[in-house]
Amino acid sequence: MDALDPTIHQPARLQIMSALTQLCGDHRVDFTFLKDRLGLTDGNLGAHLATLEAKGYIAVDKQFVGRRPKTFVRATPEGKLAFTQHVAALRSILGTP
Amino acid sequence: MNITPEQAAHALREIENSRLAMRKAVQAHRGHLYLWLWGAIWAVMAVLNWSNPERYAWATLWLNVAGAFASFAIGFLQGRQIRSPIDKRFVGVCATILAFGYFVYPALHGGYHSYREAYACGMLIWMQLYIVGGLWFDNYWLWIGIAVTALILVGFLFLPAFFWGFALLGAFTLLGSGFYVRYSWR
Repeated sequence: MDALDPTIHQPARLQIMSALTQLCGDHRVDFTFLKDRLGLTDGNLGAHLATLEAKGYIAVDKQFVGRRPKTFVRATPEGKLAFTQHVAALRSILGTP
Repeated sequence: MNITPEQAAHALREIENSRLAMRKAVQAHRGHLYLWLWGAIWAVMAVLNWSNPERYAWATLWLNVAGAFASFAIGFLQGRQIRSPIDKRFVGVCATILAFGYFVYPALHGGYHSYREAYACGMLIWMQLYIVGGLWFDNYWLWIGIAVTALILVGFLFLPAFFWGFALLGAFTLLGSGFYVRYSWR
């Protein structure tokens, strides 16, 4: 049986991982775009991304779009696996497959 | 870490809400804008060629230029929000197909001999990219490429009197695929 992952279970990080695992393959999403979709503040999102990045669950890339630096975020394969296992653990608590 | 079934149910609801929000955002970033844009351009070019190709030759050229600029603009604007990594090998394959289609083939063949042939070749070159892209990335481009290629070839080879009708059907296939990808495809 999969165990719950305390890093992912925190509500904001759960939202972040849910959103990032919806992207195809190596697609990445802009920081501001993600912030608006999830209704988080800059500081809040930045802090949670740092926690997830430290665990290796997400990768953060800084790129230039035109002349402006932009931050793009994506879930790593380890992050996707950890999230899948976390969801399986939640379902097993409810007794659903 | 232990949680109650109520907390687990709440977490699963939160997950589903976040997934839905992101799924809607991702749907808005699929290739439908390109399909609508080029479907419309190919349809207009087919109608212009059908009516008076000599008169509208320059118009079709400028339509292509405008389409190319619009495509770059769409790519730039969408890339600011959701970005996919550039596959350099695929870009190389596309460049090779385009170079062969637009330069090598006409050079060896002595140019295009009719507006019908030029239109068919142009459409087939791009549909080749759809087919290769669909195989490469394992997605819906493959089926669009095959369908439009079949329409153009049937019209050009077997029913030349109805070629522009088939060309319009091909363009509408692109337009219709755009609607399917935007609103129905999961």
